[in-house]
Amino acid sequence: MIPLDRYPKEISLRDGARVTFRPMVREDAELLWDFFRQIPLEDKMYLREDVDSRDEVDRWARNLDYDTVLPILAFSDGRVVGDATLHRNRTGWKQRVGTVRILIAPDFRHRGLGTAMIRELRHLGEKASLHYLLAEVIEKQQAAVRAFEKLGFERAVVHRNFVNDQHGRLHNLVVLLYPMSLSEDEEFY
Amino acid sequence: MPLSRMTCPSCGAELSFHPPRTANGKIACPYDGLAYAELRAGHDRIYFGPWRKINAGPADVMRAYNQIGRHLAAIERAMGDKDLPAARHDLSKASEAYHSGDPRTDERDALRYMDHALSYAHRVIDDLLHEKGLPPHAPMYFAEWYDAVEVPFKDEW
Repeated sequence: MIPLDRYPKEISLRDGARVTFRPMVREDAELLWDFFRQIPLEDKMYLREDVDSRDEVDRWARNLDYDTVLPILAFSDGRVVGDATLHRNRTGWKQRVGTVRILIAPDFRHRGLGTAMIRELRHLGEKASLHYLLAEVIEKQQAAVRAFEKLGFERAVVHRNFVNDQHGRLHNLVVLLYPMSLSEDEEFY
Repeated sequence: MPLSRMTCPSCGAELSFHPPRTANGKIACPYDGLAYAELRAGHDRIYFGPWRKINAGPADVMRAYNQIGRHLAAIERAMGDKDLPAARHDLSKASEAYHSGDPRTDERDALRYMDHALSYAHRVIDDLLHEKGLPPHAPMYFAEWYDAVEVPFKDEW
């Protein structure tokens, strides 16, 4: 269980905007739905789930399980402007690997919010005793790739022409790994 | 106009160029009042230091190496017993890079390791600022106070 007593956490962006981070709760479904409706169609193509389905968003809100998926939402003026999730496996061969996903509202991009959310997930990953964080980013999203790299994520692999957009065009997928402090205690056999 | 140099009395930063003055004629320190002013100034002093210039000599490199050592010690003091495992991890990586980059023993790779140590140290400072709810430290905003020819590419996400 990750301690969540650091929330709500208020963050200042470089331009002075104030944003509050806190874990998603069931009552956030409506605000999260509004947030997904701001996301451009092009970006939605890169998401794993169907965020155009209100039922799907409601289902997430009803079935929140922080030990499997911990969603940290960023709020500004009463609206959701960022969604960062830490996905974990309770069992199995990837139980030491956390997958991170971050989505930022268009009007909050390039303002440092994404970087702050990566920093937050890095902290949570350490508190969860994970060994690695894994992020998958479309290579053309260079600002996102750089933000992950700046915070210590390393390019593990680039899959060429691996994913497609809504027009059927293929894109390279960058897989980034962040080795956490516990990764160095790993014993190989 | 000749280049001015000063050591800020409040945070110890070695500043140069044409320092602006406050209304009462005192030289204004750009770090004054900022959280972790000592760490920011300590970072920038090294970041914009002569060791990174093309004409840097062995003495510049050695001086920077010693400055990095003191900078890491200052960061460690600021960290205290704060529950920041990611920052602590970065500080250990900074320390590792610092010890690998001693110019007296490894001249060839020293600059690379020193650069890594400073980069990890910057990340720790940013983690400390994040915990206070503040944006990361951006050295480029302080570049005019140093004898900096150029500042690195800035991009945010």
